[in-house]
Amino acid sequence: MIAQTSPAAPPTIRPPSPVAVRRRRKPSLSRTLSRVLIMLIVIVQVYPLAWLFLTSLRTEQDFASGDPFALPSSLTWENYARAFETGDLGRNILNSFIVTMGANILIVLFGMMAAYALQVLGFRHSRIIRGLFMVGIIVPVQIALVPLFIDYSAVNLLDTYQSMIIPLAGFSLPMSIYLFSSFFEYIPRETYEAASLDGAGPYRIFGLITLPLSVNTVVTVVLVNSIFIWNDFIFANTFVLSEDLKTIPLGLQNYIGAMGKVDWTATFAAVCVTITPLLLVFLVLNKAMIQGLESGANKG
Amino acid sequence: MLPNRSRTSVLVFLLPPLLLYCAAVLFPILQSLFLSFFSWNGISDMEFVGLDNYVRMFVADDIFWRAFLNALVYLAICLVLQLGGALVVASLLTSLRRGRELIKTLYLLPAVISTVAIAFLFVRIYSIDPVGLLNQLLHWIGLGSLERPWLSDVNTVLAAVSAPEGWRFTGLYMLIIYAALIAVPKELEEAAVLDGASKWTLFTKIRFPYIRPVWITTTIMATTYGLRGFDIPYLMTNGGPGQSSELLTTYMYKTAFTSTDFGYASTISVFIVIECLVAVGLILFLLKRKAD
Repeated sequence: MIAQTSPAAPPTIRPPSPVAVRRRRKPSLSRTLSRVLIMLIVIVQVYPLAWLFLTSLRTEQDFASGDPFALPSSLTWENYARAFETGDLGRNILNSFIVTMGANILIVLFGMMAAYALQVLGFRHSRIIRGLFMVGIIVPVQIALVPLFIDYSAVNLLDTYQSMIIPLAGFSLPMSIYLFSSFFEYIPRETYEAASLDGAGPYRIFGLITLPLSVNTVVTVVLVNSIFIWNDFIFANTFVLSEDLKTIPLGLQNYIGAMGKVDWTATFAAVCVTITPLLLVFLVLNKAMIQGLESGANKG
Repeated sequence: MLPNRSRTSVLVFLLPPLLLYCAAVLFPILQSLFLSFFSWNGISDMEFVGLDNYVRMFVADDIFWRAFLNALVYLAICLVLQLGGALVVASLLTSLRRGRELIKTLYLLPAVISTVAIAFLFVRIYSIDPVGLLNQLLHWIGLGSLERPWLSDVNTVLAAVSAPEGWRFTGLYMLIIYAALIAVPKELEEAAVLDGASKWTLFTKIRFPYIRPVWITTTIMATTYGLRGFDIPYLMTNGGPGQSSELLTTYMYKTAFTSTDFGYASTISVFIVIECLVAVGLILFLLKRKAD
């Protein structure tokens, strides 16, 4: 991932100390205890999700009557059929995909450009600009809702993809700049100087050196931001009205029927459908994602 | 600095991101500040009211104070669940030999699920008719007297809407803290163990001081995220019953988009921003000072 140059010395190889050997032979009580404890915590953490999936496979009668912990008496895919009838899940997923892609392109490209200007090109007072960008990490997104709503209605941007993409990208930009900057620090200056001597200008250096080297950081930035953008509720809920543009979080709300009556098993089926894309990406790329999340804060 | 760079090239790279950032983040902050001195419903003319909105907020608005206190409780619950839970699990994880990667993945799972889905899920967990997971569990372990409709009981609703947020992100903070914990030099720990340090001393004297910088970062992250918490309370109870789960953010949202009182909503927004800045300042002040 992002050049994990830990300052720690390379591990020195040495014979295992007697203490370690003894510990390995008989698992201590505390070790067993912590193993049990961690299992319990993981079960609490994951069980609700397993339950969600099981419920989506239950019949309605089975769900309405009886013990919620019980395993389904029979499995059915009917809820999924009803889920696709009730809402426009395909459309919702497509919209979420468009918004996530759009925002990610802006975040990666602009994040890289700003970091390049700040970290590699450098200029006077760049610290001020950097500080300005960092404000966005602390400030809550809600501050932008009222002003953006007013501005959007003035320039006819309400109810468009852009109305969601702009603030999502804007608020994710600082973290992206931060991650790219800390990566660019590790590209040796000599690389740039050599390229400069060969007559390459800042644009060619960006395209031929910085860009190709940043692939890993791009993956990190995209993965980390996609979690938040894919699931964004507040901007979509504020700026989007028409069914055609609704993203997944808004689409799911359609499952609350008139007078708050909810077809729960179908709703859970819909939830399962909508979390699948991100979940798959997460499970396939979880190593990269986990490393990205870890490095994000541990560099600070 | 790159030798061959020109002023234009800096601008070419810096301006597009800066413009986007200004349009989406900086300008709206200034605009909120501006709007907070006006009374405006979005249709009629804007009316300059000076500090009236602020006076109303601090002096005359009970709901504001209620929402502020609720937001602090919400924050406290989130911090305990997220940071406390994260620290405990991360510490336990370092003592495991196998399965660390699997546990990290499982523990992070809730973070990839949308808040709307989580709200649906927890409505069912808390429900009493048909009996939800929580009430059923209480019944089994002999605490049947505690069974209740968690979301309509004014005494429990605030905790009930805070817990899902804590549950959702604890995995994220666990990862960060875990990564810091395994970076603690083994030599330090081994030396302490040889000197007869107990597990607790090992933790308080060696491990925690070593991860303090990361701890500060995670505390700031969790606090600013906690203070901007919105989705789950908004979706599950919309601040109710009454104002018992109203947060500043949900109150601001309703003021803006239900009562269309844009001026006053902006005043609350400004307060939320200041609150975040003060919180971050406070964390840095308290945790950094202890380190010296």
